[in-house]
Amino acid sequence: MGRGTFQETYAQDMAIFHTPSQWGALIAFLALLLVCPVFVSDRVLTILTMIGIAIISVHGLNILTGYCGQISMGHVGFMAVGAYVSAILTAKLGWPFWCALPCAALAAGMAGLVFGLPSLKIRGFYLIMATLAAHFIIIWIILQLRSITGGPDGMAVPKPRIGSLVIDSKARYYYLVMVIACLATYIAVNITRTRAGRAFVAIRDNDLAAEVMGINLFIYKLQAFFIGCLYAGVAGALLVHYYGFASVDQFPFMDSVWYLGMLIVGGMGSIAGAVLGAVALKLLDELVTIMGPVLAAAVAAQAAASLALMARGVVIILFLIFEPRGLVHLWGAVKAYVRLWPFSREEAE
Amino acid sequence: MKRNIWLGVAVCALVLLSGSTLFAAKTVYIGGTMSLTGPYAEDSAAVLAGFQDYVKYVNETKQMAPWRKEKWPSDITVELLWRDDELKPAKALSIYEELKAKGILVYRCSGSPVALALKDRLKQDNMGATSMSTGSFLMTPPGTIFTYYPIYTDDLAAVADWFKKGWKESRKPRVAYLTADNSMGKSIEIPEMEAYLKNAGYEFAGTQYVPLVPTSPPTTQLMWLKQNKVDLAVGIMVNPGAQPTVKEMVRLGMGPNQQYKMVFGVGTPCHIVPFADAMGDLGDGLVVAGDYPPWDDSAPGIKWMVELQKKYRPDKFVRHTQYMGGMVEAMSQLEAIRLALQTTPLEKLKPADVLDNGFYKIKNLDMGGITGSPLTYGPGKIEGVDLVRVDQTEKSKIVNRGTFPCRHVYTH
Repeated sequence: MGRGTFQETYAQDMAIFHTPSQWGALIAFLALLLVCPVFVSDRVLTILTMIGIAIISVHGLNILTGYCGQISMGHVGFMAVGAYVSAILTAKLGWPFWCALPCAALAAGMAGLVFGLPSLKIRGFYLIMATLAAHFIIIWIILQLRSITGGPDGMAVPKPRIGSLVIDSKARYYYLVMVIACLATYIAVNITRTRAGRAFVAIRDNDLAAEVMGINLFIYKLQAFFIGCLYAGVAGALLVHYYGFASVDQFPFMDSVWYLGMLIVGGMGSIAGAVLGAVALKLLDELVTIMGPVLAAAVAAQAAASLALMARGVVIILFLIFEPRGLVHLWGAVKAYVRLWPFSREEAE
Repeated sequence: MKRNIWLGVAVCALVLLSGSTLFAAKTVYIGGTMSLTGPYAEDSAAVLAGFQDYVKYVNETKQMAPWRKEKWPSDITVELLWRDDELKPAKALSIYEELKAKGILVYRCSGSPVALALKDRLKQDNMGATSMSTGSFLMTPPGTIFTYYPIYTDDLAAVADWFKKGWKESRKPRVAYLTADNSMGKSIEIPEMEAYLKNAGYEFAGTQYVPLVPTSPPTTQLMWLKQNKVDLAVGIMVNPGAQPTVKEMVRLGMGPNQQYKMVFGVGTPCHIVPFADAMGDLGDGLVVAGDYPPWDDSAPGIKWMVELQKKYRPDKFVRHTQYMGGMVEAMSQLEAIRLALQTTPLEKLKPADVLDNGFYKIKNLDMGGITGSPLTYGPGKIEGVDLVRVDQTEKSKIVNRGTFPCRHVYTH
């Protein structure tokens, strides 16, 4: 909040955006998102769409891991649940996308509830192992249900449709993803301001203390799993409708690790951190892809590609060592420096 | 005087400009994605080397291949575009858009996950693509991804045909799948494959899965085969999966030359040359279908590639046979463009032209003996070869067990 801004009513106090400049920045950002397809290439549009989907997914993981402290390595498995439910409902049963999407989210949320059950008894490393198992169990089930899911052959997924408007172009899909990503961000911000959101933070910081204060660990941990996986389900569904095809290979285990990496880089327990992390690692991904052939001029192609891959790991390690609170904290520090300038300079000296 | 100087400058500028237009190099792009990191890294690195050498060869000689009369247009330079997709569909999508924006007319899908994700998009853009992935799913419409070795089920049919030919006992041989636990490995589990095996006179015992890259020996799976008295195990694996599996087989006394007689046959993308190189005597008896000939084969295509490698990479001979795969893919991509150029000039050439007047017009393309048979493509015919080569390792050497007809098991 800017200097000299005082909230005089509860409504003002509760508002997400307090000042005209904040509203201006939001409107400018939304306007930029709106006009993007006019100016950018198909490639950039694809990257932005993938970033949008990643943001939705990372928001879910942030609520579960960043806010509630329940580390999940099975996030991509829950994305697969949402993806396949939406694929089956639209492709096999002919449901409209708008009905299939909430069902996909709910199904993933339900799966999250099932695999979240052990979270009351286990934590830390053991919870990681349990969620990791969830990923492999989900993928195994999808492969076994060949008559419904197509098994290893996968299944074709129709493009979403709103009435007579088919969302078949890249620009249209971009708008769809961005609307849902903005909505997901808005909901995530509000979840963290609810009683449940505060309970999540209390559980993350000290679950014993939280329980003593009257927080029902069982209910809130399961809520976190449900909400986190709900987000994953939406992201998964959007992903397969974008590909036009659903296959278990689109949900590799390693992506769960990268989603956690996005949270680390962005800043755990912060909505802006989830967004920044997803954007930063996705852009880094693109950078290393472009750098591969460039580096190949100096070293063997395979080594060049591996170097690029290592770069991402190095970025995560550097953040863990030097800025464990992520980009969002870095951004906060820069803002504070600018706000207090020139006194901040003296302080730094 | 001043006027003359300005006139001179204008004339020079005009000459330079027209000259640059006249002699502007026309470039055509080929390539696509490679999986240089991940389980297919070794294969893809060799594919990339094949692509690079073929592009060099064509740019230098303007020939399509030494045994072919057709020439590549002398005024068009070929450039290779590639990116590492890490076998990730999400990454492959943005790479595809990037390379498409750069003007690539043909494409390459690195493996099954990428091919599955790009399949519909390629059709939407009418972009013909080559791939080292040969799952049955590529056969279903739209079918714009072309393979240059048999699809996996046809590989296994060839192994079954070869094994049955040498079967002497009166009882039915027992067959089981021993395959990778990913979409590639499991794509053989179609009713048509099981029916083919049963019709060929086999008794089907069941399926065992091995991780794509095992982190522990697949002892349980192999013991299951032993307990179920399996005579022939067939499946689809990459070398990092097949090598530890065969090592464990030997430890358990299983194999054609072991106490428990069982033959293990796999389809390409398991490659017999790097397998024999890495395993030595330990790998005796493995059968690979649909692979390329060994480097000492007398086929003109193989000899030519050896010469090319001596010339272009004198210190780093790529022994991995997917070098041949890269070469075949590059040859198919460029042949499709060459054919399309006969009807449409380069300036107006679109991916759709290359698909319709290029890939679909490739008939009996002589690959110099690199592939099982000359390549033929067309609408609905994405499997380029009609014959399947079957090889077996014997005392560290590769022995050709013959070629078998492509059975086209998958009927989609």
